[in-house]
Amino acid sequence: MSSTAIAEKLKSEWETPRSLWGKLATVDHKEIGIRYIVTAMVFLIIGGIEALILRVQLFRPEQAVVSPEMYDQLFSMHGITMIFWYAQPILSGFAVYVIPLMIGSRDMAFPRLNAFTYWVYLLSGILLYIAPCMGQAPHAGWFSYLPYTGTRYSPEYGLDFYALSLILFTISMTGGAINFIVTIMRMRAPGLTINRMPLFLYSTFTISWVSIFAMPALTAACVFMELDRRWGTHFFSIADGGNPLLWQQLFWFFGHPWVYIIFLPATGMLSMIIPVFSRRPIVGYHWVAAATMLTGAVGFSVWLHHMFTTGMSDMAMSFFSAGSMLISIFTTIQVFAWVATMWKGRLVMTTSMLYAVGSIALLVIGGLSGSFTGIIPVDWQAHNTYFVVAHIHYVLIGSNLFPVFAAFYYWLPKMTGRLSNETVGKWSFWLMFIGFNVGFFPMHIVGLLGMPRRIYTYPAGLGLQPLNMIETIGAFVLGIGILVSIVNWFTSLRTGAIAGKNPWNADTLEWDTDSPPEPYSVVHIPTVASRHPLWDEHDESYDPDNERVFDHGRLTLVSTWLDAEPYAISKMPEETISPLLVSLALFGFFLALIFQQMWLVLASLVCALLLSYYWLWPRPEGEEVA
Amino acid sequence: MASIAQAHEPRFPRQPGTGYPLDDNRGTWGMWLTIATEATLFVLLFSSYFFLENNKDRWHIDEPPKMHLAFIMLAILVASSFVLHWGEKQLKLERYLRARLALGVTILMGLGFLGVSAAEYLDHWKELTPYSDSYGSIFYTIVSFHAAHVIVGLLILSYTLVMPRYSPALRSPYRPYHVASLYWHFVDTVWIFIVGLLYVMPNVRVYGF
Repeated sequence: MSSTAIAEKLKSEWETPRSLWGKLATVDHKEIGIRYIVTAMVFLIIGGIEALILRVQLFRPEQAVVSPEMYDQLFSMHGITMIFWYAQPILSGFAVYVIPLMIGSRDMAFPRLNAFTYWVYLLSGILLYIAPCMGQAPHAGWFSYLPYTGTRYSPEYGLDFYALSLILFTISMTGGAINFIVTIMRMRAPGLTINRMPLFLYSTFTISWVSIFAMPALTAACVFMELDRRWGTHFFSIADGGNPLLWQQLFWFFGHPWVYIIFLPATGMLSMIIPVFSRRPIVGYHWVAAATMLTGAVGFSVWLHHMFTTGMSDMAMSFFSAGSMLISIFTTIQVFAWVATMWKGRLVMTTSMLYAVGSIALLVIGGLSGSFTGIIPVDWQAHNTYFVVAHIHYVLIGSNLFPVFAAFYYWLPKMTGRLSNETVGKWSFWLMFIGFNVGFFPMHIVGLLGMPRRIYTYPAGLGLQPLNMIETIGAFVLGIGILVSIVNWFTSLRTGAIAGKNPWNADTLEWDTDSPPEPYSVVHIPTVASRHPLWDEHDESYDPDNERVFDHGRLTLVSTWLDAEPYAISKMPEETISPLLVSLALFGFFLALIFQQMWLVLASLVCALLLSYYWLWPRPEGEEVA
Repeated sequence: MASIAQAHEPRFPRQPGTGYPLDDNRGTWGMWLTIATEATLFVLLFSSYFFLENNKDRWHIDEPPKMHLAFIMLAILVASSFVLHWGEKQLKLERYLRARLALGVTILMGLGFLGVSAAEYLDHWKELTPYSDSYGSIFYTIVSFHAAHVIVGLLILSYTLVMPRYSPALRSPYRPYHVASLYWHFVDTVWIFIVGLLYVMPNVRVYGF
């Protein structure tokens, strides 16, 4: 068979029908990855608008743009939206899109689970946003401390939406983590051994394991909260033997690993992008890989540093302070590896690289203020002030938003087939970089001057006014910068230069596919002979006898997890609508649970069960147990 | 590469035109990871139990829970795991009828567990409810979470029981059976910990050995 005939056959096997049914039933990781990215960006915009309203309210002292109650709801929704529904899913989106291409597989290990986790993620976000539509948004910050969030002080439905939409969200995140782990361990192309894996795989692999062990804590905490709120139990009420600190323990046992879950894949992106634009392999590959995994592991022994002011033994405080300091060593290893890579390389300052370099700068500032707050006396001083707000934004914007924008400029040409406009991109970068620093650096000072966070206004004459004005202006510049990039990407869809297979002359396998990739990704499953497949002499797709084509149905290769030696073939599922239907049933279940409509709860549970049976029911053709 | 494929004993005939047998392992990996995350959930529930217990003044176990029903339930569950394991061995020997029989017996034993469990609830409810205090809340949450897992396990097992077996070249029921039994063994293991931590330990504290 000629190679075009093979490509035609593969295409007919893998292509999703272009119909409404095809859109709802697709299991294609490329389609789902883009959906994750778009949905997360919508949440970024919503969360950003909420933040800008907050900044307008704080522009001058004693303003009344929004009421205090409204302000509480806005900052809570801002935090919840950004930290849960933007920061991780955007990274999942890139991972879902890029990882199968990067490992030379034709899809994720569980394509239907992939579709399911996307739908659940989307529906959990919708569930959360029903609350503000009812005028009863959660209003206790993104970590919702008890007892304020009990029914005594918060009788509205807001926190029920918070608890139950987060439980739904954990289902999505856990499913996604399982999918990533099995994909990375089992689906790698022959020769892509564990010591040749691109560093983005290491970071995604690490955070998937972290998710497996961290998400249940959030589930348990939210279950306890909901039981206390609506079902009359006593987990948190002191009078009946409960303890409000139980919430904090569970929440931060999840919460701090979560910080690394939304941080590490972004550093993985930097470890992909910086070497490519420094035109050399990364310095200290093994060190970066080890530092990534150690960050994930040690991330489980730092959570008490969120609770230094709650009163605990000196021993516990010392241990968790030391753990927090230890993390900074691992992060520093990564930072030095990037800097050394740039130092030894020949820099190509594309927009993507600008964002990457900018993010290192911000990450160092955020990391330093993090080390400050890891020191117990400083923590006592800075606790609940704007200093912490400055820290969290430097870390999250420096190590999530900027790398994500670097990743957009880097991988978007692969997804759309067109390059983004570099000049506009650089304008956007400088607007964002300057706007961010102008908007957030003064928060360190405001915080040390004593301005508490989460306060809807401040009196005149405390000297807080000029800095708050500067912050608001900076926040708007940052917002404009973000908008410029988004407009840039949309216009580039039509007007951008054709990207070709490998516009950046990058080293990893995803750049060996068409831009955008065909539904089957690659005609010949590649073989890998070094850490930089596209930079070495070895021809990845050399396959004269068509032994690695696998065009008898939807097939891809399965390999051993250490040495990536192929030993089996896996059949991939066809399009199916059952993931969507099951997630809708789960959505109904949680919605009914909020309003305690027990018959509806039962009905949607039975629906979910029957639909899962339908999903898993074996068909004469097609083989998948997921 | 074909030699590598041969080194792994293929459970299925080679797929036409590929030279490799069919992969039947990803589902097992998925189940192990599910078990890992579910086990963490129970570890955290137990941790919450001990965290609340630490509040000594307000932790009321006037009378530790009676143990006899819990031990009967333990016996049923552990025995069911052995039955299921025997069934899996029969399946490997391609004795499908025996394997299905073992599955059926396991499901009946699981239902028996739930029956005794209901009796245990009714008995226990007289002294303690989830609404009494934090001890009642966490106690009933843990045992109810476990009961929910037993129900899910039974649903998975009954699905495996009624699952059709299309041509053996395409699909053997072995892997679904294995995956389902992994989950069932996990559910059993959790009950061992519940009996130890929630039933035996308070009794040991109050009455000594």
